[in-house]
Amino acid sequence: MAVGSPQTEVLRMEHITKKFGSVYANRDINFDVRAGEVHTLLGENGAGKSTLMNVLFGLYQPTEGDIYVRGQKVKIESPSQAVKLGIGMVHQHFMLVEAMTVFENIILGDTRSKGIFIDRNARKEEILELSRKYGLDADLDHPITELAVGAQQRVEILKALYRGCDVLVLDEPTAALTDQEAEGLFEIMNKLKQEGKSVIFISHKMREVLRVSDRITILRAGQTVETVNIGEVSGEELANRMIGRELKPSQYVKSDSSGEIVAALDHVSYHKSSKHNGLNDVSLKVHRGEIVGIAGVDGNGQSQLAMLLTGNIAPEEGAMDLKNSKVTRFDPNGFIQENVSHIPEDRNKAGLVGNMSVADNLVLKSTRDKRFSDGNGMHLKKKAIRSYALEMQEKYDIRCSSVEQESRNLSGGNQQKVILARELEASPDLLVAVHPTRGLDIGATRFIHDTVIMQRDMGCGVLLISADFDEILEVSDRILVMFEGQIMGEYSGKNPPIDEISLAMAGK
Amino acid sequence: MGSFIANLLLATVRMASPLIFLSLAELYSQRAGLVNIGIEGLAAIGSLTGFLISLITGNPLLGVLAGALAGILVNMIFAYATITLCAEQIVYGMAINIFAPALAAFTYRVYFGSGSELVQVELMGTMKSMFGIKSDNFFVNLFLDQTPMVYLAYILVIVTAIYFTRTKSGLNYKAVGEYPKAAATLGINVIGIKYLSCIICGALAGIGGAYLTTCYSKTYVDGNVAGRGFIALAAVIFGRWSSGGVLIACLFFGFCDALQIRLQLVNNTLPYQFFQMIPYVATVVVLAIIGAKKAGPRASGQPYRKEER
Repeated sequence: MAVGSPQTEVLRMEHITKKFGSVYANRDINFDVRAGEVHTLLGENGAGKSTLMNVLFGLYQPTEGDIYVRGQKVKIESPSQAVKLGIGMVHQHFMLVEAMTVFENIILGDTRSKGIFIDRNARKEEILELSRKYGLDADLDHPITELAVGAQQRVEILKALYRGCDVLVLDEPTAALTDQEAEGLFEIMNKLKQEGKSVIFISHKMREVLRVSDRITILRAGQTVETVNIGEVSGEELANRMIGRELKPSQYVKSDSSGEIVAALDHVSYHKSSKHNGLNDVSLKVHRGEIVGIAGVDGNGQSQLAMLLTGNIAPEEGAMDLKNSKVTRFDPNGFIQENVSHIPEDRNKAGLVGNMSVADNLVLKSTRDKRFSDGNGMHLKKKAIRSYALEMQEKYDIRCSSVEQESRNLSGGNQQKVILARELEASPDLLVAVHPTRGLDIGATRFIHDTVIMQRDMGCGVLLISADFDEILEVSDRILVMFEGQIMGEYSGKNPPIDEISLAMAGK
Repeated sequence: MGSFIANLLLATVRMASPLIFLSLAELYSQRAGLVNIGIEGLAAIGSLTGFLISLITGNPLLGVLAGALAGILVNMIFAYATITLCAEQIVYGMAINIFAPALAAFTYRVYFGSGSELVQVELMGTMKSMFGIKSDNFFVNLFLDQTPMVYLAYILVIVTAIYFTRTKSGLNYKAVGEYPKAAATLGINVIGIKYLSCIICGALAGIGGAYLTTCYSKTYVDGNVAGRGFIALAAVIFGRWSSGGVLIACLFFGFCDALQIRLQLVNNTLPYQFFQMIPYVATVVVLAIIGAKKAGPRASGQPYRKEER
């Protein structure tokens, strides 16, 4: 068969096994890629997708197994070798030097051109040609820090193409993108396919997987389940095979509680003139036993709303009531004493202390509790903390090697479960949850939704902020839409008018 | 008054030169993500080695070379500990600051014995004396009454500026200090560049130290580096991690140093220690103003480990 025609195999990984210590991250995985196809690696967090790709890219050495590129057996010992073989990778956490410009990032490590000096004009011409060919517009002289996430990703793809890759690995490329940005990415992937390049697409979002893939390989717990062609199986079936059990479609019963009001904002404003980071005359109420969903595109004041309701910032105008008494002092500790729990939007920056153990993170808010310390926090009861942590590990299904493991080494879903355990064990009166399932797979997302609903049924008032519209629709009892710091409208969670809400989210 | 200012400017250039070497040493180290606070110690060993070799051989230039070599050798301790063993950089920098000056002092005692009067060494000639120019014009003095080392310092500033902004290798070098993992995925030899940075840093710090005993003062005394290694740290921050900025910073600190000596000479009512404080006070003030905004290489101070999950 001619090189480059569809069905030509460009890459094959056979019986790949990778062990970290005694833990198998990959076990006997088989995987192949053909020219001009999008081949999806589907699997939950921790299924071994990233590890397999790091093996392919020469960042990890496989414990066992072989890799073939265009029929030739190869040993990939470093990323530069992978690049030479025509493999490019866009990592989940972008490998961009923020202090440098787009141009500098693309030519970094370049070995193709001769000479000591950077020939700016010639290089720029080459890059611009590539960017035209694949529809990847990029402003070459911009510093990386000034680019939006979607634009940074385009730089990463350009970087790989500039190095002449035939196989492009995209590791969870849509995790950080807005819906429009994701659409743009899919178009680029199509262009790449047309040019005969292959894409390895890593994801656990069923909707987009079904949309872009030609073939799908399912990984579970470090092993290949199977490879299927698109159209052979339904999305539901794929999801079941991915998590390894039947997942019933969720149907949460919506409540219409008119219980006591736990929190109320009365004409609150904060940095009013800022459209993206302020609040403008916001009034809302959260009752006991209901989930109030805040829908809206990210960056319309949701972060400030969450900060305000957890006492991290004080309003400039207006008032807040918490459990029927006016809040006079805004400080996080005071709010915690009032039984307000917070699932912050960035679990690494605000939710957890990465260098501390799972156990320590679990008791972070209650170190003065008699259960965990003597003398008001003077002396920690290590044994009690440990046994409590083990209990939580069981109850919240936190998967870690031990409760002494540093929390930064946990996968995103398990980190979120640690936060959930800490915040919900206090049986909060008010729970402020911001993007609680962002970046999590189906199983973990379901777990978190179930747990939050359970809290609601126990009488907790929940304010759920999410940029994921489906999530808002699924669990909210009442939906408020935010746009440019204002509440645009209020809708019932039962049979919500989806079109109307979508328009409100766009400010109409 | 005219001659006061002229002398002040001449002295500024002289005082700034060792600082330039030491600051560039720190700049090369930090650009690769290694914060080396051991410059003071490296300069001390460079200073003694330079002194000994130029005394033995009678050739100050050989002294400077030997100083560079000594700086490299001692800095390899720092390199191995921080790069290969991923040890804390500040701790090993401090260790060098304690170890190297003591080694220098010890070697001096062993060689010359204690209690003997200070041994003097011939200094490197200036261009003016080499070419036998007699003129005493200010500009002749400014540009020609300088040792070759001064020219070298300024050439290095220019070379460094070109290296980091115009060359491919310089770009790769900077990437190591900013985001080593990204650099590695682009096929850049992170560990190699980090070791290279330690070689450059050791050599430049050694040369900066040797300058003090081959171009500046005829004698070696313990503690002759006198905090310049620490001022170099400040100069790199003040200079915003660019070689042009570092040059301005060094001239500023050199000026403060020159000023304090002149003021000591013209004033005899205030205690001289008061004037000696000037360069150090200036350092503290400048850092307080500039240091608030951190803008250095992002991966500074962090160890780089391969295959980290």
